[in-house]
This record gives sequence, C-alpha cells and structure tokens, in this order.
Amino acid sequence: MNSNIWLLTFADAISIATTLILASLGAMITERSGVINLGVEGMLLMGAVSGFVVAESTGNLWLALIAGIFVGVALSAVHAGLTVGLRANQIVSGLAMVIFGSGLAQFIGKPYEGNMRPVVIERVDLGWLTDLPLVGPVIFGHDIFTYATWAIAAGASFYLHRTRPGLILRATGDAPATVDAQGGSVARIRWAHTIAGGALMGFAGAWFMFARATAWNANATTNGIGWIALALVVFASWRPLRAIGGAVLFGFSLQVPFTLQAEQITLLPQTIVAMFPYLVTLLVLVLLSTPRARRLLGAPKMLGQPFVRDER
Amino acid sequence: MIVLGRSIRLEQRMVVPRSAVVIVPMLSVFFALAVGGVFLAATGHPPLGTYLDLIKNGYTSFYGITDTLGLATPLICTGLAAAFAFRMNLYSIGQEGQLYLGMIGGAWAGIALADSLPAFLAVPLVLVFGAVAGAAWVAVPAVLRARLGTSEIVSTLLLNYVALNLVNYFIFGSRGFFRDPTTSFPQGRPVAESARLSPFSFFTDKVTNTYPTLLVALVLAAFLFWFMRTSNYGYETAVYADSPNTARYAGMNSMRLQSSVLLISGALAGVGGAMYVVGPAGKVDPGLLQIGLGYAGIVVAALARYNFLAVIVAAILFAGLRTGGNALQVSNDPVPIAIAVVLQGAVLLFALGGELFRRNRVVISRVGQVVPT
Repeated sequence: MNSNIWLLTFADAISIATTLILASLGAMITERSGVINLGVEGMLLMGAVSGFVVAESTGNLWLALIAGIFVGVALSAVHAGLTVGLRANQIVSGLAMVIFGSGLAQFIGKPYEGNMRPVVIERVDLGWLTDLPLVGPVIFGHDIFTYATWAIAAGASFYLHRTRPGLILRATGDAPATVDAQGGSVARIRWAHTIAGGALMGFAGAWFMFARATAWNANATTNGIGWIALALVVFASWRPLRAIGGAVLFGFSLQVPFTLQAEQITLLPQTIVAMFPYLVTLLVLVLLSTPRARRLLGAPKMLGQPFVRDER
Repeated sequence: MIVLGRSIRLEQRMVVPRSAVVIVPMLSVFFALAVGGVFLAATGHPPLGTYLDLIKNGYTSFYGITDTLGLATPLICTGLAAAFAFRMNLYSIGQEGQLYLGMIGGAWAGIALADSLPAFLAVPLVLVFGAVAGAAWVAVPAVLRARLGTSEIVSTLLLNYVALNLVNYFIFGSRGFFRDPTTSFPQGRPVAESARLSPFSFFTDKVTNTYPTLLVALVLAAFLFWFMRTSNYGYETAVYADSPNTARYAGMNSMRLQSSVLLISGALAGVGGAMYVVGPAGKVDPGLLQIGLGYAGIVVAALARYNFLAVIVAAILFAGLRTGGNALQVSNDPVPIAIAVVLQGAVLLFALGGELFRRNRVVISRVGQVVPT
C-alpha cells in the first residue's frame, strides 16, 4: 500500500461525486418546491439503461446522454402528475417509481446484460494543470461533465438564493398558500421543478453509465447510489453548494471498498467492506438528526404536503 | 379545469361507495397490464399471448396455483409488515432486509436449537427467532425515528443493502456457522429435520410447493385485522395516524407507538424469512435475495390499501405474476422475469392515481351553471 493509491481513491471519490451531486441537486430542487421524489434510484437506473441502449444503436455519446435526460423527465412527469395533479401520497409514488423504474430497467436492459459500455466519457487533459503533483490528478483529472456539474451546483445555488424565481420556489416549499395568495401557481412551480429535478437525475444515471460503470448490470450498476443521494440532500441541508462537499465524502465511502479490493487489503472480507458506504450514510443521518443539528438544517416546511386551495 | 365549454372539477365524496373499493384496484391492474403490454409489444413479444401464458402458468394449472400459493406465503408476511407500518404513516421500506434477517435468525434456531426438539416445538421456535431477528434489524431505525425523528425511509432502506451483504458474507464470504461444512460448494448449513415442514401433497404423489406455513400467514392476517379493529392498541395507532397532535393531547405515548409499530412490522417481515427456512429452503439460501419479496410487499400493501385481509388477495395476485413470469422466462419465446416487477410498479402507480377517484367524484357541468353543493 502506498500513499499514491489513496490519492487516486480521492480522485475517484471526486469523480463518483458527480453522480451524487447531480442526483441530489435534482432531489433538492424538487424538494424545495415541496415535492419529495424518492424515486431517485429508479430514475438513475432508467437513465443509465436508456443511455446504454441508445449508445448501442447509435454509438453517439451525446444522444445517449440526452436519452437519459429525456427518460428522467418522463418518469418525473409521471410523479408530478400523480402527486401534484392527483394529490397522491408522494412517498408511495416515489417508491412506485423505484420499483417501476428498476423493473423496467431490468426488462429493457436484459438483452444487454453484461455488455461493455459502447462509448466512454473521456477525461480531459488540462495540460500542465493535470501534471501538477497532488492537485493535478485530484482536481484537474476529470471529464468535462464533472466540472459542468460543479457549475450547475453553483448556478442552482445562485438561482435559489439570489433570484426572484428562486425566492418563489423556496416560498412554495415553505408556504405554498402564500405563493398562491400572491397570484403564483403552486402547481405550475411544482411541476416545473419536479421535472427539472428528474432531468438531472436521468442525466446523473446516464453519466454514471459512461463514466464510472464499465458494463451494464441491472443489479449492480447504481447499487443504492440513489438512496445515498437522498441522504446527501439532508446532509447538504437543501443547499446546492454544500452538496459538493458531502458528495465527495459519500463518494469516498463508495470508493473505499474498490480500493481495498484492488490493493488486496483483506483486513475484512469483501462482503463486509461492501456494507461500508451504507453504514457511513446511516451514521451521517443519525448524526444529523440530533436536536442540535436539526436546528441548523432547515428542510422545506411543507415538504410532502399536497396543496389544495379550497382546503385552506 | 374547463374543456369544451364544460367545467370539470373534483368533489370530495361524503361516503365512499362500496363499488369504488373494488373497481379502483381492478382498473389499476387493468391499466398496468396495458402499460406492460406496450413494453412487451415494443420488445417483440405479443402482449395478449404473453398475458394468457402468464395467467395460465400463474393461476390456472394445478402446479401454477400451488407454486403461487407457496410464493404468496412469505409475501403475505412482508405485505402485512408494510401495511402495518404504512397505515401509521411510518414508511419503513426495510422489509427486504428484515426478511433476510428473519431467514438468518430462523436458520440459526433451526441449526443450533431445534435438533433435540420435536417438530411441534421446533417449527414455532424457528418462526419466533425469525420474528425476533426481523424486529432487531429495524430496532435502530425505530429508536432513531421515535427518539430523534430520523426519517425511517432512508435508514431502513440503507439497512437492506447491509443485510444483503450479510447474507452474502455468511454464504460466500466466510466459512462460518451458516455455511455447509460438508461441501466446498458455497451453500447454507441445513437446519435440523424437525425444524422443517413437508409441503402439502394431494392424491399421493402430487407434491406441491405450498407449505403449511400458508395457514400461519392467513391466521396472522386475520388476527391483525381483528386485533387492530378491536384493541386499544389498534385504536391508538389509528388516532395517531390521523392526527399525531390529537394522540399526544389524549396522552398517548407517541414514542412507544412509533417504535412498537416499526418493531412489529419488522417481526412480521422476519417471520416471512423464517417461513422460507422451515418451508422450501431449509437453510440460509441466497436465492431469496433474487426474488424481491420485501419490495413487492410494499406494492401488495398499497394495493390492499393497508387492509390486512386484502393483503392476502393482493399477495396471491402478485405471487401469480411472479410464478407466471418464471414460466415465461423458460418458454420458447423467453420474456424477462422483470416484466413481473414492471407490472408491480405500474399497478402501484395506477392504484395511487385511482385513490383520487375513490375519494372524490368527478363533477362535469356547463360553465356558468351553479352546481348545488
């Protein structure tokens, strides 16, 4: 074991964090409007498999990524239709999305099971920046989407906290009746942000397929990353920029089992090490729910509550 | 909403008609089959023929029915588990992991304790240990939920992945207690003969895959239905589900209610895992990890609208989808078994949408006309 391998693990953690950031940004802006979408895991899988299928038939990475986004939009539109349009229970609808999405991903992906990804997202070479010691591989050795994701997070933060639509969005999550009284359309805002969130989740799945996963495997491709992204929303206290730091932490915990396996460090059996990311996430959730931490969090106040004008 | 000069709006029903209770789930299943049909057609399988095969293999032949009932047995348990928690607005989705732990706990009792016991003691012992293990697996999320208000949704789900790896560890990752020591092939150590039930068999040689544990599952469902209607505990959980504040003002202990509901839910799922041990498996069997009975239990519970008796019907329906789907997978024109999961998800989505029409009725009137309310 050398220090280099841990440096590479850290670089991998930052890379894998891209999916976590995108997915949790998607969940975050959905939740900011007062809609909780638990279907992240299903959306990631569907984004991954639809990207895979499109890439197999066209060989075009961009089309594949767009397919992922499109599927995320379609699934989240169903969720919005059920929860905003028909006022269905958001939690059960989200679970239905996970079951439907992962079932459909398995069904569609069956002929491709075990196939290698047809296209790959290449890492960019930033010249002398990438050659820098330490920071080179860790910060400057990623693909363009990783950098774009950081920009999206910054943009989302600006949108939420510095623009008028962002203000209205936050108000919709905290006090929809007020937004309604001011003449805003709660339903339209919730629809728009649920779908935008779904687009991010679908893209997150497609990116993961071509940047991190090497082959399509319905049972192992995302492997619970969607749920970790949901925990990350809480960890980031619904603030986009904080999601970056949290995603690196969770990304590290996801990467450690692979590093240990690659280095053949067998302090613990592989099956036990594989529990690590989930236990870390659980531990973080526990720490976040102490009364002290809760005060600092600030979840949207009407999260999960359908809005019906006549009942108010 | 105004369409073609008519205003369409929803009006809350004062009384839910009995017909809506039956028609909404039936329509959900119908529409789900239609959605599944689209995907079947898109992948080159004739939808109607596939469904007819599925129904034939899942619900009509002798072995189809008995396989379905055998698979429905643990599914009733996970369905009851989900219904028990969900009806109190506790969205525990850890049934999958609790089921695994029930299998582990049951197998432990079956190996370590059952040897010297007669069957009428050994089998209940295995089931009880399964229940205890299932409850223990949800103990941490339950305490966190009751004490700190940690969302049980993500915490229970994360533990499913831990439980999955735990089973893999016992069978593939180590050569410990649960691993069969007599062979190098990775498989579970069989439980004592006294801890196994033999399946129902008819007409001397027709041995089925239905085990007497089905009766236990049915009794459990009936008991819960009766108990939660008549007991004080059932009343308190119902009040808490409707309005936590009312429950608190009435002096009910919300912490105890929340944690006990989650623990009982975990125990119910755990019994399902132990039934797998006394029934078809007889050991810790990683085959259980492939079926997804825990997640299916959530769909079953939601389709049954958290009614314990309706869980039985929904569980048999979904088990049939699975057995029918299994048969399709090995036919001449193999259809991936995942179609069963797609149908489950679609049924749940339509049932959710249909809920609105159960609670409300659609009123169509001319624009400008006053509707008497």
